[in-house]
Amino acid sequence: MESTDIAAHGEYKVPGGKLVVVDLALAHGRLASVQVSGDFFLEPAEARDAIDAALLGLSADADEAEITSAVAPAFGADTRAFGITPEGVAVAVRRALDAADGGKGGTPGGGP
Amino acid sequence: MSVRPRSDWQDHDWHLVHVEPQPPALHMALDDVMLDEVAAGRRPPTLRIWEWAGPAVVMGRFQSLRNEVDVEAARRHGIEVVRRISGGGAMFIEPGNTITYSIVAPESLVGGMGFEDAYAHMDAWVIEALAGLGIRAWYQPLNDIASDAGKIAGAAQTRRRGAVLHHVTMAYDIDAGKMLEVLRIGREKLSDKGTTSAGKRVDPLRSQTGLPRAEVIAHMVETFGRRHGGLKVDTLHPDELGRAQALARDRFGTPEWTALLP
Repeated sequence: MESTDIAAHGEYKVPGGKLVVVDLALAHGRLASVQVSGDFFLEPAEARDAIDAALLGLSADADEAEITSAVAPAFGADTRAFGITPEGVAVAVRRALDAADGGKGGTPGGGP
Repeated sequence: MSVRPRSDWQDHDWHLVHVEPQPPALHMALDDVMLDEVAAGRRPPTLRIWEWAGPAVVMGRFQSLRNEVDVEAARRHGIEVVRRISGGGAMFIEPGNTITYSIVAPESLVGGMGFEDAYAHMDAWVIEALAGLGIRAWYQPLNDIASDAGKIAGAAQTRRRGAVLHHVTMAYDIDAGKMLEVLRIGREKLSDKGTTSAGKRVDPLRSQTGLPRAEVIAHMVETFGRRHGGLKVDTLHPDELGRAQALARDRFGTPEWTALLP
């Protein structure tokens, strides 16, 4: 890949209807910035920051299982979550990466 | 901690706060402050009914501003965009067009319950109140109240330090066209259902009751009190209001908080 700053957007509607959304930027084949958002429920709220942090630096070639393993520790024993799981995050991330790889860099709803 | 694992509605001394219209950011701050107050035991369990001083988009805690809201359209319509402390989806509110309330209580009220049971439990009184108004309504997991005329309400909950906040916005008579202009997600959801025509109202409460909004609220309040062993009229304590105003200024009304997830 030539570009060092590819923006990508991926979504995954989890069973139960909540949406996990990932906006990310790639640099040198790795996740250089990540924002996981959506209409899920998560307590404590800081767990969402931990999910972003766990994704940072991952290779754009990471598969779903690898991404799931990377974010799972962010869902600690004291975390209460509905509508967001490590697997759901991994699907949304993988979709964003595949969109970027396809040259679309698609950001539906992601502004100009 | 010697918190009992489970309490019933009637175990609590419920208070009602229903005061003059307040700006959106202050409502966000009041939820935050009242949750702390109930957690600290300084405020009894409370039903707070909101009145809005202006139109608002209320985003869920974890939603992305640009993904969910057409900020330019909101500005054009003079709609304030705020972010609440609970998760869930964005809502569009104009004064008089919704019925919004918060219940703040010790967590024992939903003690041991999972997400699904806790949501349905906190709104069981509303289902009963709606039945009293002739509306057959039911809880649609996770957090919707539905009726034959479509979705009536969306709920969100958050728990903190032994207290639970459950807040709900019910559609009384919403301008669907304007909602679709400002909420991006609404475009998708409604387009699925083929209800995007201009001038369309989302008015399940108004159309199914035929009652003014204030009468629907009065019936809800009456049902809550009867079902839960009383409801004492209360007001915001001066220190609660003062702290909420400070929080609205320093946090909930700031661009940084609204764009927390840009």
